[in-house]
Amino acid sequence: MSMSEDTENFEQLRRLLVLKRYEQPPPRYFNDFSAQVIRRIKAGEKGERGDIFERLFDEAPWLQRIWAAFETKPILAGVLGMAVCGFLIGGMFYSDTTEVPPFALMPGVETARGAQASMAVADHPLLIKPVVLQQPSSTSPITAAQTDALLLGDLAKLRSGTIPASFSFPGGN
Amino acid sequence: MIMTEPARRKAPQPADEPEKASPAEPVTTEEMELVGRARKGDLSAYDELVRRYQQRIYATVYHMTANHEDANDLAQEAFIKAFQALRSFKGGSSFYTWIYRIAVNKTINFLKQRRNKAQMSLDDFDFNAEHDPDLVALISDKTPRRDVALAELQEKLNAAMQRLSEPHRLVVTLHDVQGLSHEEAAKIMGCNIGTVRSRLFYARQQLQAYLSDYLK
Repeated sequence: MSMSEDTENFEQLRRLLVLKRYEQPPPRYFNDFSAQVIRRIKAGEKGERGDIFERLFDEAPWLQRIWAAFETKPILAGVLGMAVCGFLIGGMFYSDTTEVPPFALMPGVETARGAQASMAVADHPLLIKPVVLQQPSSTSPITAAQTDALLLGDLAKLRSGTIPASFSFPGGN
Repeated sequence: MIMTEPARRKAPQPADEPEKASPAEPVTTEEMELVGRARKGDLSAYDELVRRYQQRIYATVYHMTANHEDANDLAQEAFIKAFQALRSFKGGSSFYTWIYRIAVNKTINFLKQRRNKAQMSLDDFDFNAEHDPDLVALISDKTPRRDVALAELQEKLNAAMQRLSEPHRLVVTLHDVQGLSHEEAAKIMGCNIGTVRSRLFYARQQLQAYLSDYLK
């Protein structure tokens, strides 16, 4: 195909494309166009959510590219979703197989099971020995007797160490 | 024969093609004043700017989407976005080029999302179309299918346009349909004039192949 033929053919094509210039929207369409734009600007027609996303996309074009990739190739979104699910399930499985003793959630108070697990730690001379509580149940209320004994013992100590008070009033009798 | 992309780059450019007179209005102080007022929130000034460019922006978006409703939404959204972004408009280019770029970017993003869901909703022809001597000649004399109706030709033409990639459709729209110069098209597309010319050449070849029945 020679250049002149080519140009001539393009000339025909260009004349055909002119047809598109005659495609016009409905009559009086543009009469109200700018008014609609102004109304939408005034009303802030786009909701907060849309604005936030649009700003986010404007400030981070890479995010928009990722979003567009997810929309055009849903398989990517699927793969990502599966990876996240797999990660979560793996995390849950891992946490079930690993036992971590509940150390010192309440300082100084532990359950019997926790005390057994932390025996080695509790024997350390620098650490305060925790008060061991039995598992509470309806037949074994929480260490009421022990608490009473402690209170009575403290009272006896107080009594033994009591010094009678004597008052003298200046100029008094 | 349709040339491949690399071959197209080496193809002789239609250098003898005259540059078109720009339909863009020169940047006037009046326009800069309107932009300044709109930037301060003066909606009447922005209304004036919208009125100046609404037809061209709508037409560009329409020729890219081949859908009136989509073009209406996108053109309006382009103007709304431009108003919201007026503070970032430094005046390095004309407002005309700037608003064009916003509309074009918005449309291309939309088309990427709409891919494979395209549905044409074409505007009617202007009354003058039937009296255009070129078109009358094209339809009645040169087309082998003399019974072809104008509406059918319109549909075929739009379908052929939709088969082009977005950058190729855009360059045909800007240059061949809207009559912008290569330079203006390059500014709007954000590329150099050589790229515009080569894309145009390739796009025309493609269209020529798609519309061969109507061009013999």
